[in-house]
Amino acid sequence: MVDSYRPKDLKDALSIRAEYNPQPLAGGTDLMVRYQSWSGTLPLFTKSVMFVGHLKEMKYIKKEAKDKTVTLVIGGTATLTDVANHPDTPVVLKEAVLSIAAPALRNNATLTGNICNASPAGDSICALYALDAVIVIEKSGSRREVPITEFITGPGRTILGPDELVTAIKIPLKASSVNDFTKVGTRRANALSKLSFTGVADYKNGRIDSIALTFGAVGPTVVRSVELEKKLIGLSGPELKAMIPKVIDDYSTVIVPIDDQRSTAVYRKKVALNLLEKYLKELSSHE
Amino acid sequence: MVGAIHELPIKGWIDTKGVKMGARISIPVRRIDAKEKAGGWTKYIGDYQFKNLQHGRFLRSERARAKIIEIKKPDFPEGYYYIDASDIPSSGKNNIQMIKDDWRVFAVSDVKYIGETIAVILGPDKQKVLDLLNRIEVIYEDLVPAFTFDDALSCKGGAVYGDNNIFSEYLLNVGNVDNAFKDAVKIVEGKYETGFQEHLYMETQGLVGAWEDEKITIYASSQCPFYIRKSVAVTLGVPVEDIRVRQTTTGGAFGGKEHFPDVIATPLAVAVNKVKKPVAMIYDRIEDISFTSKRHPSKITIKTGLDKSNNIIAMDIDTLVNGGAYESSTTIVLQRAILHGIGVYNIPNARIRGRAVATNTFPSDAYRGFGAPQGLFAIEMHMSHVADELGLDSSDFRRKHFIKTNDITITNAKMHDDVKLPEMFEKIDEMSDYSSKVKEFANDPVKGIGIAFVNHGGGFTGNGEQAIIKGVVKMKRLEGGKAGLYVSVVEMGQGLQTTMRKIAAKELGLDYEDIVYDNPDTDIVPDSGPTCASRSIMVVGFLVQECAKKLKAKWNEGVGVEAEDVYKHPDGLVWEQETLQGDAYPSYGWGINVIEVEFDPVTYEVKTTGIWAVWDIGVAIDETIMQGQSSGGVIQALGYASIEKCELKNGTFMQHTMADYTIPTSLDFPKVETCFIDNPYKYGPSGAKGAGELVFDAAPPAYAEAVQNAIGKRIYDIPVTPEMIMEALK
Repeated sequence: MVDSYRPKDLKDALSIRAEYNPQPLAGGTDLMVRYQSWSGTLPLFTKSVMFVGHLKEMKYIKKEAKDKTVTLVIGGTATLTDVANHPDTPVVLKEAVLSIAAPALRNNATLTGNICNASPAGDSICALYALDAVIVIEKSGSRREVPITEFITGPGRTILGPDELVTAIKIPLKASSVNDFTKVGTRRANALSKLSFTGVADYKNGRIDSIALTFGAVGPTVVRSVELEKKLIGLSGPELKAMIPKVIDDYSTVIVPIDDQRSTAVYRKKVALNLLEKYLKELSSHE
Repeated sequence: MVGAIHELPIKGWIDTKGVKMGARISIPVRRIDAKEKAGGWTKYIGDYQFKNLQHGRFLRSERARAKIIEIKKPDFPEGYYYIDASDIPSSGKNNIQMIKDDWRVFAVSDVKYIGETIAVILGPDKQKVLDLLNRIEVIYEDLVPAFTFDDALSCKGGAVYGDNNIFSEYLLNVGNVDNAFKDAVKIVEGKYETGFQEHLYMETQGLVGAWEDEKITIYASSQCPFYIRKSVAVTLGVPVEDIRVRQTTTGGAFGGKEHFPDVIATPLAVAVNKVKKPVAMIYDRIEDISFTSKRHPSKITIKTGLDKSNNIIAMDIDTLVNGGAYESSTTIVLQRAILHGIGVYNIPNARIRGRAVATNTFPSDAYRGFGAPQGLFAIEMHMSHVADELGLDSSDFRRKHFIKTNDITITNAKMHDDVKLPEMFEKIDEMSDYSSKVKEFANDPVKGIGIAFVNHGGGFTGNGEQAIIKGVVKMKRLEGGKAGLYVSVVEMGQGLQTTMRKIAAKELGLDYEDIVYDNPDTDIVPDSGPTCASRSIMVVGFLVQECAKKLKAKWNEGVGVEAEDVYKHPDGLVWEQETLQGDAYPSYGWGINVIEVEFDPVTYEVKTTGIWAVWDIGVAIDETIMQGQSSGGVIQALGYASIEKCELKNGTFMQHTMADYTIPTSLDFPKVETCFIDNPYKYGPSGAKGAGELVFDAAPPAYAEAVQNAIGKRIYDIPVTPEMIMEALK
């Protein structure tokens, strides 16, 4: 038997988490499936559960301006629908979120849950890697902020401590003129990803000023190479165009997918590189 | 000349009173079950309340092929049972009487596929049942399993069945194939493969067995209550009258609830017979996808010989279907596959060798089309490939070879149907702009259009309706100007509760709502046969029409007066079952689909941009219901052709959740533009023929041809996945 907890507020949640280390459950759309058993019997949770989806303090999305940066702060219990509907949500995140499941599920599922599930095929994660999202982690008496790339360590694995909760996600809102999120799913709606791609970039004075390229479901975590992106900074459109074959070559070494019940390694890699090529061509035609 | 053509959709329903006949029967009425089902009030098997209900769950084989060395069981608390073959009464037997009875109720001493039933664990508390099940340990000694056609034919690990793994073999022949090939100036050959397909009916498999009035009653989500009655009676060794089967409203079936409920009903009945309490066996979705029968995979090789005028003079076909570990209905599926093996063509010299093989996969069984979709996919793709090889237009080439009335069929009989394919082609060409699009897309890098021509025999093969079924229907005048209809065919989503009422009402001059037609109960209705083989309307509906005429003649004798009608095979049809010679079916439905696609060269995904269907189903009993059948059948078939990948790995289906076994949503395909052509059939009610399976048959080859034209590479296998397209374009 496992216990279940329903904290009255965030403070209460943090102290329960510290004392009993229960599994946090917000929308339950992943966990209830993962632990399902014969219908009519209890789900097979291996540890106690703490419901957090009702915690109002974390159900918000707001903009914060500090110095010259504007940050979108998404509360820990904001649902995917909340994220999709917010006017300041970056377009690639909005598209990624709207590609997840169906409206009923998105009304319940939280962005935090999608991140903590840490699936390499998590559609929002692919976009959040490209957007330099930062995960806000709290425990009783302390708080830390970690880039999402460091937060997720492997399939289903994060650095979240047993006494900690993710209380918010911060996304720096940056200029980005060429945006693409593409999900290749098993069908057109209500589908899991075979792979996904996010590209965001911006030009300044005719040269690429910022760029992020991420790939979902083609490795144990979402793939992003800051090192390869750096090589593109400062290029003009025509210079980028000339470099595309080389960039594709470079990325073909970092994209190492596997075969599974949804697709093949060969297809995933080929299509990931095709999507990259298509994006870079599009990007090179802008200035 | 073309009969009347009725464009769809007809806007709105007519007032239900209008079906007090005189009106054309095809005019749609409101479905009798629509409101209850849409409102969520309809009770399905899982909604029934039983006093003292016990919950059963199967102990299943976890090995594809193994000896059972030992089964280690925990102590069972009071009220919890482990039921296995030793609980079958001495008068009964450990066999499930389907078409063959080789499928065992319980595996004993060895297992032949993953998921095979070893025992039923049951008790009042589900969690305790589950805990007991988890504590049972089966010790196996693994044997070498066979999964593929090659494994089966080479008898890998020793024969699973007989001494050669061949459940059944047929040879059909018309003309002289070997001689004709000698005269051929060109020969084209191709090998075509299709995969498993899961039914994914909305309601999973579910039955409750109860001990009522000193006998066993099975409440079943099922297509064929009398099949269940027979198999349970044989297993328990009791007369069929000692078993009562009550069909519960069935949330989809598609063939998956034709024979398969017997696989649940028989061990369930053994359990109920022992514990004398109601026991529920209701599958969860993952259990249902993992452990129920699928469509038979096929591998079909076709060799075609042509003369110098590009006419087909010879065709040699080799057909294999994978029946899995037990034969059950596989031989009949094979028959359908080969009887539809040369499609809608007149081939003067043709030979088909058909073999059904045994493997250690989950036994394959009925699925909408019953072998015909596999045979028709192969012949249609092959005809397309031959045309391509000759540099001819694919549709022109096929149309030149259309079978005509009185031409000789593959079973050496005359085609009796009035074949309207040429007129139907004109119609679909007009609807879809097919001919001009073929030219327009010829050099288009991403667009393609495909066409397929099919027919589907209605009713049981050959004289099966006479020799095996001998269907009976009964009607009775009830109080209040109503009439009772007593048949064993069931509503399973296809609209039978409405269409059967319309047929009876038309003859009796009543409103269709005044016909009482309850879910069949084998203690009440006569055996009019199973709900399958596109027979319900054509065969049973005709009996209903004739029975209603009889009742009308006696109507004035007063309340309680009854009438009955029994199947008679149409005069002049001959059939030799052993050799499959003669009139294979009393009549055929005919169809053409055109499908237009656009492929994405970046992701290799295919978007379907247009779907058109023209059908000759005799006469539609209800055009809206038939529109539903057309849309549903075509889209289900497009899932089979495109995204429904079901791979077997070491005997386990890899896609066993609804997340991984994906069927189309409304976003995946556009509306199916449908048209029906009237071509009344003498022995169908108001001229109606079979339709339920026909609507599945044409879409897979039409889709595959469209994709093939879009990508410029031939397609031989379905499902045509983006992965496959990528490989083809390498």
